[in-house]
Amino acid sequence: MKFFISLITTTFLLFSGSLLAGSHAKTIMLSTKGPGAGNPFWASVEAGAKDAAEEFGVNLIILSPPQESDVMAQVAQIEDQIAKGVDGIAIAPTDPNAVAPILDDAIASGVPVVYIDTNGINEGVTFIGTNNINGAALAAQYICDNVPAGSDVAILQGMITQTTGQHRAEGSHKGLEACGLNIVAELPANWDTAQGMSVTEDIITGNPNIKAIFASNDNMGLGAIQALKNADMLNDVVVVGFDANPDAAASVAAGEMSATIAQFSYNMGYMGVENALKLANGESIPDNIDTGTVLVTAENAADFM
Amino acid sequence: MDKSQDSTFVKLIPFFEKFGILLLILIMVTVLHILQPDVFLSWRNITNVFKQVSWQSMLALGVFMVIVTAGIDLSVGSIIMLSLMGLAIASKAGMPWYVVMLVAPAVGFLCGLFNGLGITLLKMPHPFIMTLGTLYIFRGVGNLISGGVPITGFADEIRVIGNGKIKLDAILGEGTREYIPTSLILMIVIFFIFWVFLNHTRIGKWIYAIGGNPGAARAAGINVNRILIIVYTLCGFLAGIGGLILAGRTNSAYPNAGLQSELDAIAAVIIGGASFFGGRGTVLGVFAGVMIMGILRNGLNLMNVSVFWQQVLIGSIIIIAVYIDVLRRDFSTRK
Amino acid sequence: MSEEIVLEAKSISKFFGTITALNDVNLKITKGEVLGVVGDNGAGKSTLMKVLSGLYKQSEGSLFFSGKKVNLNSPRDSQNLGLEMVYQDLALAGNLPIGDNIFLGREPVKKVGPFNFLDHKKRKQLTEEHLAKLKINVKSADQKVEELSGGQRQAVAIARATAFNAKIVIMDEPTAALAVKEVGKVLDLILNLKNLGVSVIVISHRMDDIFSVCDRVMALFQGTNFAESLLKDTSRDEVIGWIMGKKD
Repeated sequence: MKFFISLITTTFLLFSGSLLAGSHAKTIMLSTKGPGAGNPFWASVEAGAKDAAEEFGVNLIILSPPQESDVMAQVAQIEDQIAKGVDGIAIAPTDPNAVAPILDDAIASGVPVVYIDTNGINEGVTFIGTNNINGAALAAQYICDNVPAGSDVAILQGMITQTTGQHRAEGSHKGLEACGLNIVAELPANWDTAQGMSVTEDIITGNPNIKAIFASNDNMGLGAIQALKNADMLNDVVVVGFDANPDAAASVAAGEMSATIAQFSYNMGYMGVENALKLANGESIPDNIDTGTVLVTAENAADFM
Repeated sequence: MDKSQDSTFVKLIPFFEKFGILLLILIMVTVLHILQPDVFLSWRNITNVFKQVSWQSMLALGVFMVIVTAGIDLSVGSIIMLSLMGLAIASKAGMPWYVVMLVAPAVGFLCGLFNGLGITLLKMPHPFIMTLGTLYIFRGVGNLISGGVPITGFADEIRVIGNGKIKLDAILGEGTREYIPTSLILMIVIFFIFWVFLNHTRIGKWIYAIGGNPGAARAAGINVNRILIIVYTLCGFLAGIGGLILAGRTNSAYPNAGLQSELDAIAAVIIGGASFFGGRGTVLGVFAGVMIMGILRNGLNLMNVSVFWQQVLIGSIIIIAVYIDVLRRDFSTRK
Repeated sequence: MSEEIVLEAKSISKFFGTITALNDVNLKITKGEVLGVVGDNGAGKSTLMKVLSGLYKQSEGSLFFSGKKVNLNSPRDSQNLGLEMVYQDLALAGNLPIGDNIFLGREPVKKVGPFNFLDHKKRKQLTEEHLAKLKINVKSADQKVEELSGGQRQAVAIARATAFNAKIVIMDEPTAALAVKEVGKVLDLILNLKNLGVSVIVISHRMDDIFSVCDRVMALFQGTNFAESLLKDTSRDEVIGWIMGKKD
């Protein structure tokens, strides 16, 4: 019976095949947090990476752990590829702290590394991703342009222990303050829709004249919209989210959410591979590469649905 | 009982029971060497595999003992996380490294003791229930004491177990890059100790007896509750050692540590030939089960195969392994 | 058969929650005596035996071994006092070999430094000797009990009870699963033990068993002492009547 197991295993292994590399093409590993099949965000990262690989003649290896919480699986995948021999790694770290040692090993072995989407903690490694401060500032600007000066406004923060949460809170706060708006509340709702809803309920109860809410991600924004609908206040309040996920884009198109900020996950994949290749070729790259953000309103919402 | 009438296949069953699993590993290694000739059997890759399985092998060994008593411990993934958090907090509090290193197995020990006492004193209908509860409780406590954020950065001495390398310059000449990972040495030592414990001591024998027939154990004057408490405590202790290894490997106590790894531990134990019904299984089998899963993952990673295929394969192997167990029970038990 | 009382149980009661399994039960047995215990299902026979062996602790009453009052906290205590038991369900671990079962709980060990390690060789050797003495035929002392037939398993359970120079052996339905030839062997064994001065308590519902080896017979009915007599003073019909709760 056990012979049958090995037979089946062998068959699967033979069918999977291994990538054949041209003798001069560099091999770049793209390590994302989760499979593209489960998440449109990573799917577009992979799409960008594949296009860059084709354009620059790179042998691309895409690997991710089965779920975003499986940190050790990502560590093992990197370890295995280093042993096999890669020329560069573009990684979205599942846990920046826990993968730091294996990335140090990679760099020490002469394999250059770039971070995409989420910044890591290893020194001297370039970060390629959304500049969340700029993106949040963009959202704040939209609010400034669409509500009267001096109005009451609020910020829904993400997980304030994460840099993404901190940056979006910081960028929006500065922007709203700069154009003279009155920030009555800045509270965390931890990226969660239900929490976004209950925090918003509390905010509008104490501040019935509120004119705008910036939600650090779309999920919280959609929760805020629900709370405003229940209080019959949606028409009076501008709600801006962040991420431009399909639900939010639909909400913007339907006139409920006023606007959201789109990240360019495609760019993360494309630029990740492009810059890992540059490092592998001995060129130098900047410490920080902003993959860009764009304001999404009713005019362009259809592009993101 | 006249066995001369049995077919050759049936006669070979005891042989396969003991050594079939090693045969399977040999076949896997051969196949992977053919498919990835430059990499798979390279020193670097082999040491990688041992490093990757080392922390999981501790969980598997502990869960194995529990399964032999016809019990289960679902909380080992959470125990490894809590012990890792305990270690991190002790480290950040400035305790000396030798104390910090002891914190992880000590926390694991206490968690296991908690499980054992709960199962016996509270007379839980099945350990599944108690350890399902502690699966949540231990991870929750770990998140509470850490604030839900990772705690990073440990002294080098603490990382020796998980990350240490024993250089082979002396044997293989100056400048050799080959080394033996400390975690491999630890794994071998611990597996050996528990092999002796389970096969050559009275308590080891009683563990198997309890799994086979707890009533018989009681009738023989064995204090079944005491042995169960010992077994669950040892399981937690081993998970704590796993935490120490993880600390070395990742230099971080992160909230998702060990998430769902209890399932991998159970899978390794079952693939290794232990019976879920209790009373059967070997330490060598557990080691083999751990290695099979590690080699499979490593091979498929090297070949760039999707992780989804890995999941399908591992799940299939579990079911086939248990089916073999079912067949074996049919053949060897007289009705 | 002497007059020395080796085991006495006085006023034993055992409650399981609201259920009274035994109520004020007395039993005594002298050296070299074979005592039969009869009663219908649920009469409390097995429960009484488990109190005598220490597997259960009595709710009320006292036990006396050779005239001395004892507190049994585990079967090991009664074993140390020279009492061995063959349980109705055999109490064997099928996944373990014959030798492991015979020595379960009291495995021979050898000391290495501060540690006690199992002495596998000694265990196997003692097992083989004992099985040979009892003329029990199995392929090997290393055979797992689950591979044995019902009769062979019964033989192993009896072998366990006779391997430790017991003074008192309790047998709960020792012939229930056996073929005719094997029954004869068990009854012969009981008589052998008697001749060696060992006291034997036999629970059986088979009158042939009781009337071929016992010196005395007692009946339990619904957890209480119902009747008792020397064998020579009673008849099969009367004993069967006791089981059904009928007495003149």
